[in-house]
Amino acid sequence: MLRHDSAPMSSAASRRPSPIAWLIAPALLLFVLFFILPFAVMAVMSFFSGNPISNPNAVLTTRHYQRFIEDSAGIFHDALWETLRIGLITTVVSLLIGYPLAHWMARMQSRLGHALALMAVIAPLLTGIVVRTFAWMTILQDKGVINTLLISWGVISKPLPLMYNEFGTIVALVHIYVPFMVLTLIGVIGRIDERLEQAARSLGAGRLRAFAEVTLPLSLPGILAGSLLVFALSISAYVTPSLMGGTDVLTLPMLIAQQLGTSFNPSFAGALGVILLAVCLVIVIAYNAILARLSGEQGLA
Amino acid sequence: MSAVANRKPFDAGRAAYLALNLLLLAFLLVPIAIILVFALNPTPYISFPPVGVSLRWFVKFFEGDDFMRALWLSLWIAACVLVLSIVIGGACALALARGNLPGRAFLTAFFMSPLMLPAILTGLALFQAYLLAGIGRPVWGLIMAHTLVAVPYVLRTTLAVLHNFDRRIEEAAAVLGASPARVFFEVTLPLIRPGVFAGGVFAFIVSFDQFPVSLFLVVPKGETLPVVLFNYMKFDLDGAIAAASMVSILLALAVVVVLERLIGLKAYVKL
Repeated sequence: MLRHDSAPMSSAASRRPSPIAWLIAPALLLFVLFFILPFAVMAVMSFFSGNPISNPNAVLTTRHYQRFIEDSAGIFHDALWETLRIGLITTVVSLLIGYPLAHWMARMQSRLGHALALMAVIAPLLTGIVVRTFAWMTILQDKGVINTLLISWGVISKPLPLMYNEFGTIVALVHIYVPFMVLTLIGVIGRIDERLEQAARSLGAGRLRAFAEVTLPLSLPGILAGSLLVFALSISAYVTPSLMGGTDVLTLPMLIAQQLGTSFNPSFAGALGVILLAVCLVIVIAYNAILARLSGEQGLA
Repeated sequence: MSAVANRKPFDAGRAAYLALNLLLLAFLLVPIAIILVFALNPTPYISFPPVGVSLRWFVKFFEGDDFMRALWLSLWIAACVLVLSIVIGGACALALARGNLPGRAFLTAFFMSPLMLPAILTGLALFQAYLLAGIGRPVWGLIMAHTLVAVPYVLRTTLAVLHNFDRRIEEAAAVLGASPARVFFEVTLPLIRPGVFAGGVFAFIVSFDQFPVSLFLVVPKGETLPVVLFNYMKFDLDGAIAAASMVSILLALAVVVVLERLIGLKAYVKL
């Protein structure tokens, strides 16, 4: 241990595992029992007609996937499409809102201002998804803040349909996931040398052009990483679409909950889960590839 | 050069940029402030503008058996998750940073992956596993599920501290004759403590506010607070939810402040 501790840093890769490596055991046990195994169970169950332990007649089948592909009721493909569309719109709007905030904060001179803005971004993260969805329901419903104000000012005569549709769902989802976008982007924009932009401007570029041709391309890795993160989070949202979507919105996570709750068909729910998982895995792999290419490995926090 | 040239008496572009960002900050904060308004507004349904100040919704929340049972269950679970995740996550971070393990990058990504996968799928997978194992839906199953999604937060904050700190402090202690155990307990552990406890704060909040992982794993009369609030909101939208939301927010803040005061600051002073 003494020898290993005083060894030069450069030989780190060639050293053998130290006794400290055993400290990984509890985490490994937790993750095998409560993460790998359950996901394997879910994948296997999705190929059974019923619970193979309690029901001896359960057989291997691909009918849950066929049911999704055939989609005789005409709702599954719509739900998948709706899920992806909500995810995409949420991501684009989060980027449009998150980028200026992150840029402003990363370039802020005052430490106090930076700390206050950071607290404002983190504060929504400290309030649960259910609480934040409630807040948006009080704002967007027919007797909510916006409609009441607009009616009392005489701008409109009857309430605007701000909620129980895709619009309300996306507004609330953007509010919930923008902090993730901002926190991802701050780190990346903060690492871009401000003098590059100043150099472009001293060579005659306008403020907007210097930004568009220097800072924006350099922050592209952050834009991609933040977008993939928000997309992955918003396609798996359940609370917000089910409370704010009304009858207009049916997403894959809502369908999964329905299959477990009202239809009690865990195998089909498992198949839907595997489909959503496949979509997410593609995103996670892309995300990790992009993060690996970022030079600084400071993490998102 | 250009920075000096920019200092005009009034810069419209810069003012617009500042105004835009303040507006965006307001978008983030106003909804949370509005919860307080509705928590104190006495009308029987959500209505705006508020007509007065009353504590009736807080009374309804604190006198509601379902709310109180859920609140205590959520607090109990979050406390267990806090302890479990700082022990498991802290140990894991030490192993990853100091254990010379092969495939470190892969292992780190693996232990972070619950953050990237949809939490509702983690809940669904655990539901299926518990169903297959025939163990029902016990509270410890919920605690382990929350711990699984909380560990990555502890791992991330602890690894950040471990990456930043100067290994020569440990080496100096060893050179001066401290045994490996003594180096660990008197140098390494105090140094990583701020990171571990910062992660613990996140772990507590992640568990206390957890919805998607809990949804399929709770039993009737044994729901956590977010699940109770969600079910309530499907039928009623009154100030009780706002009061419950305020209580949740204040509890989360209290945990942050208390842990920071008790452990965070002391750890920094000791440095």
